[in-house]
Amino acid sequence: MFQFARFAATRAVLAILTLLLVSFIVFSLMELVPGDCAERYIAFKNTQGAVITTADIEAERVRLGLDRPYIERWGKWVWYAFQGDFGDSCILRLNISQLLGDKFKISLGLSLAALVLAYMIAIPVGIYAAVSKNRIVNNVLRFISYLGLALPNFLLALMIMLFSTIYFGESLTGLFSKEFRDAAWSWPKLVDFLQHAWLPVFILGWSATAFAIQTVRALMSDEIGKLYVTAAEARGVSGRRLLMRYPARHALAPIINSLGFDLNRIFNELPVVALILTLTEAGSLLIDALAKSNDQQLAGAIIFLLTASIVTINFLTDLLLAVMDPRVRRSILK
Amino acid sequence: MTDTSNTTPTTTAREAAAQKAKEAYFTASQRQLIWQRFKKNKSALVGAWVLIILILSGLFSPFLTPYDPTIAGRDKEYQNGAPEIPRFWDENGFSARPFIYTTTRERSIKTNFRWVTTVKTGLEDRRYMQFFVKGSPYKLFGMTFDTHLFGVDKGQIHLFGTDSTGKDIFSRTFAAINTSMAVGTIGVFIAFVMALIIGGVSGYYGGWLDSILQMITDTIRTVPAIPLFMALAAFVPDTWSAETRFFFISIILGFIGWPTLARRVRTHLLTERNQEYVLAAQLCGASASHVIRKHLLPSFTSYIIVDLVISFPYMVLSETALSFIGLGLKDPVNSLGVMLQNVTSADVLLNYQWYFIPVIFFITLVLAFVFVGDGLRDAADPYGETS
Repeated sequence: MFQFARFAATRAVLAILTLLLVSFIVFSLMELVPGDCAERYIAFKNTQGAVITTADIEAERVRLGLDRPYIERWGKWVWYAFQGDFGDSCILRLNISQLLGDKFKISLGLSLAALVLAYMIAIPVGIYAAVSKNRIVNNVLRFISYLGLALPNFLLALMIMLFSTIYFGESLTGLFSKEFRDAAWSWPKLVDFLQHAWLPVFILGWSATAFAIQTVRALMSDEIGKLYVTAAEARGVSGRRLLMRYPARHALAPIINSLGFDLNRIFNELPVVALILTLTEAGSLLIDALAKSNDQQLAGAIIFLLTASIVTINFLTDLLLAVMDPRVRRSILK
Repeated sequence: MTDTSNTTPTTTAREAAAQKAKEAYFTASQRQLIWQRFKKNKSALVGAWVLIILILSGLFSPFLTPYDPTIAGRDKEYQNGAPEIPRFWDENGFSARPFIYTTTRERSIKTNFRWVTTVKTGLEDRRYMQFFVKGSPYKLFGMTFDTHLFGVDKGQIHLFGTDSTGKDIFSRTFAAINTSMAVGTIGVFIAFVMALIIGGVSGYYGGWLDSILQMITDTIRTVPAIPLFMALAAFVPDTWSAETRFFFISIILGFIGWPTLARRVRTHLLTERNQEYVLAAQLCGASASHVIRKHLLPSFTSYIIVDLVISFPYMVLSETALSFIGLGLKDPVNSLGVMLQNVTSADVLLNYQWYFIPVIFFITLVLAFVFVGDGLRDAADPYGETS
């Protein structure tokens, strides 16, 4: 137990180090953009007719703490970021946590749902593809997984938009119906949300599923020819019991390990899909912040949150693997 | 082998041929073996042909397409125009030369102030296609030409229709293939050089240097790429010219694409560097860079090439996504992403579906790359030969 705690602690430290490094990159990106908050605030005053001088800007910098050394400001940003406070967006003049609200949770929920959907399809189909000797099945699956790459989520979203507009006359966009958009969470709102959310989940899950099928199939066909499977078969284990208890357990371990990167891939596509389907969640907010208003504080916060979720998932899967796989467990306990 | 003196001349010849084939197999270079295996894979071979055709048509796009893809080549008389499909016959009879109809546009109180296009299908309204026509001048391999593969005798021909400013979508599609290939090539090249340097150093030296470099690589792999692209692309000032922007975007793509490749280079070097031939070279006094370049890299060139082909479509797709949301390339540089900007409006979805024609070409391009990449990967694997 003590060794396991030590293992968990090491992993946690590594995860935090990664996050710090990411936060440094993100913070540097935010800082490198020309123009800081002081200039923006003062520029706003200028549009209101006030006469401003360089001294005003300097005074504003001191007020906002922008005259402090780089590392100190980074430290402060990270300190508050870990507590979930990302400061104010100086373009929208709003607290970022307030602005994000539920939106980031919605994004995370959509992505996780897509991930679950992907593996719910990929694990049985992938195992079947590895076991089956049927050439047609295999070729069809191979083609589908290639298409998962060639028809990336955002093109798929575009195509679905195109066909739904032509054939159904409505465009299936958004996450909420009008009447629920600003309402507090309630049962009808949740139902309404689920009615809208299936399409983004399906689209986000599309290429993830294609990739996952490919991975499961490859891992499974590696395991299935091994001697322990033959040995188990010789002992009279067969059918689904054989597959599930022997090769599948081995084959699925690397998949648990790579869940974090799968989530990464889904997040990757989220902003563009969100733009097409006009979803009101963090992905589209990110595009707004970067492409339209150049709001670096908001963009930085969202990228940091995305990465933090991935790092957390990676950490959790490491622990899960250690709990589930006796080989990993033993290597820790040594 | 067998004693050939007793056998008939035909069997001798056959055996000699078999012997030759065997010899050819055993003395074949790595490249020849890969080619042999690649040829057996039908889908990869088809992919390769499609890829070659697409790349060539991208390169020769100014000749193959009738008009300038930029705003200079726009057709003021035919904006948001539907595709014009050449035909050989209609109710007025056959024609050996393909023709299209004349269209007129009208906007008045009668049409509710919308542009309404009417197609005239009379015999006198036929416009015949011409081949090797003189048109707008273009540069190809440093020389200026003005011959285009096809055109039409009166007005302009738009096989895939036109967009809202009257630019020919057919011409733009082929120009876009060219741009995507260029972005991909630059991006892959930069990613490749960085991966070789970082993966090479990390794998060859190992130790603490390796740990630090691995930590950085893993961190970059953790950040979702497109949001990171977006953050970097947001730096591009609006004042930059389209060409500068193009290079900047390609460089960003390369800078974010290296970690996967770097990891593979490192893993390979870690196992290879303990081999005896490396030790021998080191004992002869070879420098680290000499050992990496002359001894280690050649041992896995084929894997690197395969990886490059596989990472190519990712670059192209990232560029498309980036341009699509308006952070990537901009007019007059043309790419699929640029062409798909603004297509999500209901107006386009309902009325101008031909805006989506280029998508077909890009799916084909990426699929071709994936098939070729997969075929190459199977072919480059010396243990993959089962039958």
